[in-house]
Amino acid sequence: MISRVATAGSGPVRPTVSLVRFKIAAYVRSHRIIQPFVGLLAIMIVLYSSRVALGQELPSYADSAALLVPVFAWAARGLLDTEPDVQRLISITAAGRPGREVVSGLLASAVIGGGLAVLALVAPLVIGFRAVPSTAVLISGLTLHLLSLLTGTALGALASRPILPDPATSALTMLGGYVAILLVSLVPFAWLTVPLIGWMRAAGRPSFLSRSLPELSAITVFWCAVALATYIRLRRTRP
Amino acid sequence: MRLANLSFRYARRAPWVLQQVDLDLPPGTVAEVTGRNGAGKSTLLRLLAGATRPSRGSITGRPPIVGYAPEIFPVDQPFTVTAYLSHMADVRGVPARAIEAWAERLGMTPLLEVPLGDLSKGSAHKVGLAQALLAPPGLLILDEPFSGLDEQTRAELPGLIDEISTAGGIVVVSDHQNGLAGHPGVTHLTMENGTVLAHEHDPFHERVTRLLPGHDRSAAPEKSIIEILVDHGDAEAVARKLQAEGYEARVRGGGA
Repeated sequence: MISRVATAGSGPVRPTVSLVRFKIAAYVRSHRIIQPFVGLLAIMIVLYSSRVALGQELPSYADSAALLVPVFAWAARGLLDTEPDVQRLISITAAGRPGREVVSGLLASAVIGGGLAVLALVAPLVIGFRAVPSTAVLISGLTLHLLSLLTGTALGALASRPILPDPATSALTMLGGYVAILLVSLVPFAWLTVPLIGWMRAAGRPSFLSRSLPELSAITVFWCAVALATYIRLRRTRP
Repeated sequence: MRLANLSFRYARRAPWVLQQVDLDLPPGTVAEVTGRNGAGKSTLLRLLAGATRPSRGSITGRPPIVGYAPEIFPVDQPFTVTAYLSHMADVRGVPARAIEAWAERLGMTPLLEVPLGDLSKGSAHKVGLAQALLAPPGLLILDEPFSGLDEQTRAELPGLIDEISTAGGIVVVSDHQNGLAGHPGVTHLTMENGTVLAHEHDPFHERVTRLLPGHDRSAAPEKSIIEILVDHGDAEAVARKLQAEGYEARVRGGGA
């Protein structure tokens, strides 16, 4: 049955994409997706139980993005924790390199979070807003939710089991991290952390898309890149 | 495949699990790793598999396709056997028909539609073996492969290992149950105090080499002899158990 030993390596894309599919399938079949979905539902009810006044669509989207960070973090942590520790070792050997397993976990988390973000963007169009907002507002809302998704995924990854094996420590770190980001972003120096409060404050200004959003995006992407690089670095000794 | 000056510890200030290990595993090698609990066998296997990076030193020449069969297969996953193996075949880029072939050979065809969580220990172990063999491995790592297997599959394993080594693959087996006893050409690797001792083929009739650079036999720790009296019929079994734990054990006397 074993006629030869293969010597050719495979490209990085196929095993990574296949692992993304495997991790998403495991997460969805385990029904863990219900937990962040319930969180999303609660935030949507709080934000849109009464109709948003005309012209207040963007601030609503900014509130939604800031509040959804722990939901995205919960989804990412849940997805990364679904796979048993030994299965991660199997996945690493099947994929050929540890990096592919790490990246596929982050991508799978982003896909799940992306689905939740789409629901958060579409729900107010159906039940919350009095009229369909302008394209500029929709683009700003989409960008804010992508930033929220990025922040939540990075936070959830840092709180996942390979990094923090104790569930209680992990949950406290995740929620404590979110609260810390909120508190630090209250101070006037926007570069200190992901500026969650800055998102909400700036969304009320008329020039948000052209003037505020690029700077806020740059700060957010910088801190998320630092967090994700830390996660990837830590995973080198925590397979 | 070569391990050069390899050392590993889990954190910067943690104790070393492996220190300055040099090891050569040429194509076709079948190596059996033994050692006491906590000696670092699993760590060595993970390093060999490429799941963990060495703290110092290097591993070169690792074959591109690695199969890793864990000691305890993780059944806590929401898939049937077929669905799970299909995902693993997809990750490895092999056609799904490979699943049926290995299912038949390992005697698990009736289990294909069974959820992983409903499998017995032995059946789960077969799934772990099957996923490691889906693509012809250049390096096959088996962690306690004989544990919990039925007689038919236990008998099948040595032949399977031979096939891989004959095709030029490297097989590394962690084995407490001495399932490879009598298997020809096995290199015995004994884990002890963070080092690896390689016994060429038979540990009692071949040269013992300490694979620590600059560490000759004269520097080896002093040995003591413990006399253990057992029934003649049990002697071989007890000796094998001690050998599996990494001790030199030999049977003297013939029950006369």
